[in-house]
Amino acid sequence: MAIKTANFIDPFDSAQERGVAGVFGMWVFIAVVAMIFVACILGYVVVRFDQPPGREWMPEGTPGLPSALLLSSAVLLISSWTMQLAVRAARLGQQMQLVYAMGATLGLALLFLAVQALAWNELWTRHATIESGLYAWTFYVLTGVHALHVIGGLPPMVYVFRRSREGQYTPTDYNGVVLCAMYWHALDVIWMVLYATLWICSALT
Amino acid sequence: MTTIQLPSPGAMPDTIEARPASDNYLTHTRGILSWIFTLDHKRIGVMYMWSVLGSFLLGGTFALLLRTELLTPGPTITESADTYNQWFTLHGAIMVFLVIIPSIPAALGNIILPIMLGAKDVAFPRLNLFSYYLWVTGAVLCVVSLAMGGFDTGWTFYTPYSTTTTAGGVIPVLTAAFVLGFSSIFTGLNFIVTVHKLRPPGMTWFRMPLFLWAIYATAIIQVLATPVLGITLLLLIVERTVNIGIFNPSMGGDPVLYQHFFWFYSHPAVYIMILPAMGIISEIIAINSHRAIFGYRLIAFSSIAIAFFSFIVWGHHMFTSGQSALMNTLFSAISFSVAIPSAVKVFNWIATLYKGSVSLTTPMWYALAFLFLFTIGGLTGLHLATLSTDVHLHDTYFVVAHFHYVMMGSALIGMIGGLHHWWPKIFGRMYDERLGTIACWIIFIGFNVTFFTQFMLGSQGMPRRYYDYQPEFQIYHVISTIGSYIMAVGFTLTAISLFGSFFNGKKAPANPWGGRSLEWQCASPPPFDNFAKAPRVGDCYDFSVVHWDPKLGGYRVDESNDPEVNPAAQGTKAAH
Ligand code: HEM
Ligand SMILES: [Cu+2]
Repeated sequence: MAIKTANFIDPFDSAQERGVAGVFGMWVFIAVVAMIFVACILGYVVVRFDQPPGREWMPEGTPGLPSALLLSSAVLLISSWTMQLAVRAARLGQQMQLVYAMGATLGLALLFLAVQALAWNELWTRHATIESGLYAWTFYVLTGVHALHVIGGLPPMVYVFRRSREGQYTPTDYNGVVLCAMYWHALDVIWMVLYATLWICSALT
Repeated sequence: MTTIQLPSPGAMPDTIEARPASDNYLTHTRGILSWIFTLDHKRIGVMYMWSVLGSFLLGGTFALLLRTELLTPGPTITESADTYNQWFTLHGAIMVFLVIIPSIPAALGNIILPIMLGAKDVAFPRLNLFSYYLWVTGAVLCVVSLAMGGFDTGWTFYTPYSTTTTAGGVIPVLTAAFVLGFSSIFTGLNFIVTVHKLRPPGMTWFRMPLFLWAIYATAIIQVLATPVLGITLLLLIVERTVNIGIFNPSMGGDPVLYQHFFWFYSHPAVYIMILPAMGIISEIIAINSHRAIFGYRLIAFSSIAIAFFSFIVWGHHMFTSGQSALMNTLFSAISFSVAIPSAVKVFNWIATLYKGSVSLTTPMWYALAFLFLFTIGGLTGLHLATLSTDVHLHDTYFVVAHFHYVMMGSALIGMIGGLHHWWPKIFGRMYDERLGTIACWIIFIGFNVTFFTQFMLGSQGMPRRYYDYQPEFQIYHVISTIGSYIMAVGFTLTAISLFGSFFNGKKAPANPWGGRSLEWQCASPPPFDNFAKAPRVGDCYDFSVVHWDPKLGGYRVDESNDPEVNPAAQGTKAAH
């Protein structure tokens, strides 16, 4: 129902309309996030292939991409799957499964960040620090910006997790779970594109 | 005069008499907290408006300082060229990021868009308030930057200067621009969703007033271009902090890449500034000509076309940066094509004026000023988009004059026109028409004296952003400075006419100009919830049903003869 108080007037006539608008708004927001990464990736590709003559992108002895990235990619993929399980559970009204699936996704998200930290550590200890050149620098920046978006996704995820523990989502009203899932899948897709770009650009030496 | 038929009860418009006049959005709740935490789009818009106008005053003060300094070659009012650099940087950054970009969408758009659309509010009221506080944060960061030693990079923050200058306030101001960018993104997001999801029954896409089309096209640019600025500024902040990064040539980075990123945002950003103003002009011209706007669809689509083109012309700011000849040629050619949708609009406005019965109200004077100034601004854009002439004109006062004609002469004049147009709606008071018109003329004259001179300065080779100059240029600088003082007088008079309305302004009728779109059918000021019942949406440019009503002291929309409202009246419309 539309809510009206002394200082708030709900522009929507029903929760359902509000939900549809929320999903649409999330699509627009995903476009915003996508543009951030389009800029990052294009900038990276340009710097990568536009090096001044005589300058190596990866001079002798530069370590390749950290192997931990394979693990973190797998973790992120699985978290997308558990996220989708959560949406399904919410749709079917399975409260327990919803809580478990949300909890699992949250755990996997934290695990992803931990593995990314390992990857940073791996590169750093092999002497590819931020000072050693743009190869390492762009790696830290690209994965860092992505990690920031993952971190930004955590508070909403915790919120949805708590609300699902309180049993607030019903098969007719589980929009919060859907919005969370949309954002999460978007970060997953972005990560895959980012990883592929990094991989291709480092392989081409 | 035809007699006025009373509308049938079912078609009674939601005019001022229909509701108790005492309850409007300004008086609905009281106390400062009811403003600070308001979720009402109208109040948020009003807060934006005061904030933007305050920033305009500040930015304008710096402009006057700049012009005064340039009265004589060498030192005039400051001994230090670096202080001068700080002034023009502040002037530019304030005017662009704090004033022009948010002025129309966030201030006027917030107030008017939902009412015009027939909605109760924007789609996400909390996000809307959040955007406003992001704006405030950005403004505060600008002040912090000043306190930390200011910045002298120019509003464009070009590397490597911005990463190496010793001015202390660079990082806070970059952060400010970053935060303001997100304020703009969230406003755009809100408006896109509002236009898509909150149109009431009957408000089809092609019944939307052109102002809404313009704001919609603007919102698309805000959402797609601003993130690129965000990430660029972030990279710049990091690069300045640790001195490492992709814009740093000593590491194999490329400072020109910064320019690409910056203009990929900032060229579309100039359309964030101009498109909403064009929307306002469409409304003002149609309403004051009391005649259906000519080429509605062309104007609507040209907004979208401009939004599209705006993304692929950024390289015209970089003709002298060393980008390849092929790129230069392509960017030049595409830039020319932007002129086409812009000209389409101008011709349609002129065609609307032709044979209209034009009321020369203050907003209409602003619209005419816009037509004149935008034409000059747009055409000189073509000089700059031509490769061979730009090599000569780049970084001269010619560019300064060009962008002031479009940003100030068009975007800002459009904004002031819109402010006058909707002032009675927003505050329920009429301003002094005569004073308003005189002020408009003074601004117009002052503007041309200031900036037309700068075309001449620039074409003779006076570089922009210089503290000192050859004595031969002095006469032009003096004329230009005098023009800026004239403008200051004009703006002061405008302020007197507008603010005076709070003290001795007549109470505004619901529909003072004879508008047909929905905002003119609710009371002035609008009630808290805009519309008690869903409004009926008619053809917003069919003025044949709008009649002067001496009892109201304003116009009345009488749809009783419209077959859509009253089937019994079939066929009588022509006789009306
Ligand atoms: C007919 C369409 C237009 C064309 C073809 C055009 C073309 C150009 C070109 C080629 C330049 C670069 C000049 C140089 O630096 O050498 C330029 C600068 C500029 N234009 Fe336009 N322009 C047009 C409309 C506009 C509009 C509508 C606005 C703003 C509302 C605008 C704002 C600016 C600004 C701010 C700059 C200078 C930025 C700076 O260097 O600080 N232009 N324009
Ligand atoms: Cu441009």
